[in-house]
Amino acid sequence: MRSSIATDLPRRLNKFFWYVIISVIILYSFKISRVDVFSFISGFSYSWSLIKEMFPPNFSHFDKIIILTFETISIGFWGTVIGIIISFPLGLLSSRNLFQGLPYIISRGIINFLRAVPDIMFAMLFVIAFGLGPIPGILALSLSTVGLLGKFYSEAIESVDRKPVEALESTGSRKTGIIRYAIIPQVFPLFMGYNFYLLDHNIRVAMVLGLVGAGGLGLELYNEMRSFNYQRVSALLIIVCIVITLIDRISTKMSKDIIEGEFLSGKNKVINLFLISIIGLISVISLFFIPVDFQEIISGVPRIFEFITGLFPPNLSGIDRYLYLVIETVSMGITGTVIAIFLSIPLGVLSARNILHSRIVNSLSREIINFLRAMPELIFALIFVSAVGLGPFAGVLAIALHTVGFLGKFYAEAIENIDKKPVEAIESTGARFIQKVRYAVLPQIIPLFNSYNLYLLDRNIRASTVMGVVGAGGIGFELIMSMKVLDYQRTLTIILLILITIVIVDYISHYLRKRVV
Amino acid sequence: MIVFKNVLKRYGGIKVLDGINLNIQTGEAVAIIGPSGSGKTTLIRTINGFVVPDSGVVSVNGDVVDYSNKKFLRNLRKKIGMIYQLFNLVERASALENVLSGCLGRHDNGMGLLFSTIGFFSKEEKELAMELLRFVGLEHKAFERVDRLSGGEKQRVAIARALMQKPDILLADEPIANLDPKTSKKIIELLLRINEEKKITLICVLHHLETVENNFKRIIALNRGKIIYDGFTSSLNRAELLAIYEESELCEAA
Ligand SMILES: Nc1ncnc2c1ncn2[C@@H]1O[C@H](COP(=O)(O)OP(=O)(O)OP(=O)(O)O)[C@@H](O)[C@H]1O
Ligand SMILES: [Mg+2]
Repeated sequence: MRSSIATDLPRRLNKFFWYVIISVIILYSFKISRVDVFSFISGFSYSWSLIKEMFPPNFSHFDKIIILTFETISIGFWGTVIGIIISFPLGLLSSRNLFQGLPYIISRGIINFLRAVPDIMFAMLFVIAFGLGPIPGILALSLSTVGLLGKFYSEAIESVDRKPVEALESTGSRKTGIIRYAIIPQVFPLFMGYNFYLLDHNIRVAMVLGLVGAGGLGLELYNEMRSFNYQRVSALLIIVCIVITLIDRISTKMSKDIIEGEFLSGKNKVINLFLISIIGLISVISLFFIPVDFQEIISGVPRIFEFITGLFPPNLSGIDRYLYLVIETVSMGITGTVIAIFLSIPLGVLSARNILHSRIVNSLSREIINFLRAMPELIFALIFVSAVGLGPFAGVLAIALHTVGFLGKFYAEAIENIDKKPVEAIESTGARFIQKVRYAVLPQIIPLFNSYNLYLLDRNIRASTVMGVVGAGGIGFELIMSMKVLDYQRTLTIILLILITIVIVDYISHYLRKRVV
Repeated sequence: MIVFKNVLKRYGGIKVLDGINLNIQTGEAVAIIGPSGSGKTTLIRTINGFVVPDSGVVSVNGDVVDYSNKKFLRNLRKKIGMIYQLFNLVERASALENVLSGCLGRHDNGMGLLFSTIGFFSKEEKELAMELLRFVGLEHKAFERVDRLSGGEKQRVAIARALMQKPDILLADEPIANLDPKTSKKIIELLLRINEEKKITLICVLHHLETVENNFKRIIALNRGKIIYDGFTSSLNRAELLAIYEESELCEAA
């Protein structure tokens, strides 16, 4: 009897030990990213004065904004189209149930590599090769699309129903026949869903690729910001918000139709086709605005190889400084995530329909969450850099806001999906409301929350590697500087450090997530 | 002692409990049977206040249940353990944590409320929880998460949680409906053993007639919210028992 209670003690100590470790890491991260109460107080007042300078928005160059908006949409569109075209064969090749051996290993390797590299790094590379403008943006988006879509495609193919495949195999059909008649019909709706998700995602990314010179609204935003034309900045931001919200709505509607199998069917046919053709039309029309100089593209190709050969050998001098910046980058991700967790709990609770029975409050907090999720964090970062100055604090704030868009949604869903049976059981013991929350609700949602938090932490450390591109702290700043001064051997060192960090963080987060749920 | 006087409950105009009069003595073991939708669950949930009757009186141990008084209901529930068909455990918590949550009702104010909300229980309570887990034969699974237990083990954890309340009454709503026959037999034997050893009144909703015949002296049959039989199981023969179910099915078909 006594001995069995004693076995509780090591568990408690173990738990305590981990709490201490985690708290120390978090406190250290706040310190490294220079985030404290004072930075928040001054941050608020700086942001307030920035907002005052932004009013009234200056729409005097409205025609230019519209052209740039079209250009942004078309960068997203063409990047997605090219990405889909490349992803399809690569996705097939990297499906274990279709191909084995070298083709599988190579295509899987390519996809994993493309997914690990942040999209904005591709954009920087292509800007070096092809100069400023939309072409580098389209190319960068194509590559990052392959990283995501290739994986989605092969996962979908690997989980198809085996029975139709076997039926065709037994008729002696060749692999092409099997793919055409047994696999594609099964995965087609899913693929369509993924494609739309990517289109939505890519139009949003297209807004920020301009920050490194790859065309679209982002480039204009960056230039106006740097020349302190805040009233023009606010006009651009308003347009960005409108476009992003519209695209978000359209893609939510489309993916709902696809999931429910209603896509292009019945009453949805007209509206679906209409929406697609509008995006397509804008993209085709924009082709006329995009200066496609084939001469320039062809002469750019050797510059890519020049760049790649120029990377070697990596220049390891100053690595201790870079290592510190890696720590700063990781700290930014941690700090941003922790702040986001605190902001997301109230927002998640407010949007959970089974806790708060107020339609208005539910949908208001949902709208805030959706907006924060839809806005790219680099745009937040750009704004915060102007408000609170260069450095990691701006990056932390940007990451935190964007993360609330994910965590708030996940938290609300977790709360809405709790099992009510144990809640009643605890109530039937005569417990009070707070005890019900503590013993029947929290134990159900905390493991889920932890898993979401770890997932976001992983994602955010990845995101903080590129915050430096707009001066919002971390190693990204050194990356873009080394490219600007053509010191490619340093660039390679930094890229390698970033990739190693991403891989390690990914591994740790995967391991921990398997343990918490 | 539990007394029902003319208890009536309607859902959307339909009488789910239709003039129930009932006496259950302290320490008794009673089985409630009846076809689906006949009001069994509704009946037992009026005892701990999860269902509020439209009219009539329910009294427990001499006190008339005051359904509008939250504090009265909490004090009432502390003494009534509840066992469910789907166990109603927190799946991601350990067996021990689930059992401990049974004594929350005793800490409903002051420092006790504070400490229990933070997550502290006294040494005596932890020892009692372990003892109860041993009583139901699960001491070795105390730190196991509930989602890794079998159905029968889960029900035993739920029983230990109910016993943690030190209840006078156990309400069990189809406690074996989701278990295989062998496990069912063990759970019923456990409930009856608790009834005998600890003198806890047991009210058990069951569907399995053989289990009722073999284990319960008194049987209450419900049909369409009315008690159509209340008496010794032994004075009913098999055919009459079956008729309680069949007749109602005929009614429903008609
Ligand atoms: N909260 C409620 N709202 C509306 N109707 C209800 C509610 N609870 C129960 N009912 C209805 O009351 C009737 C009796 O329900 P009850 O759950 O008591 O039946 P039961 O005898 O326990 O049935 P079963 O054997 O299927 O569990 C059913 O017709 C049911 O639909
Ligand atoms: Mg029932």
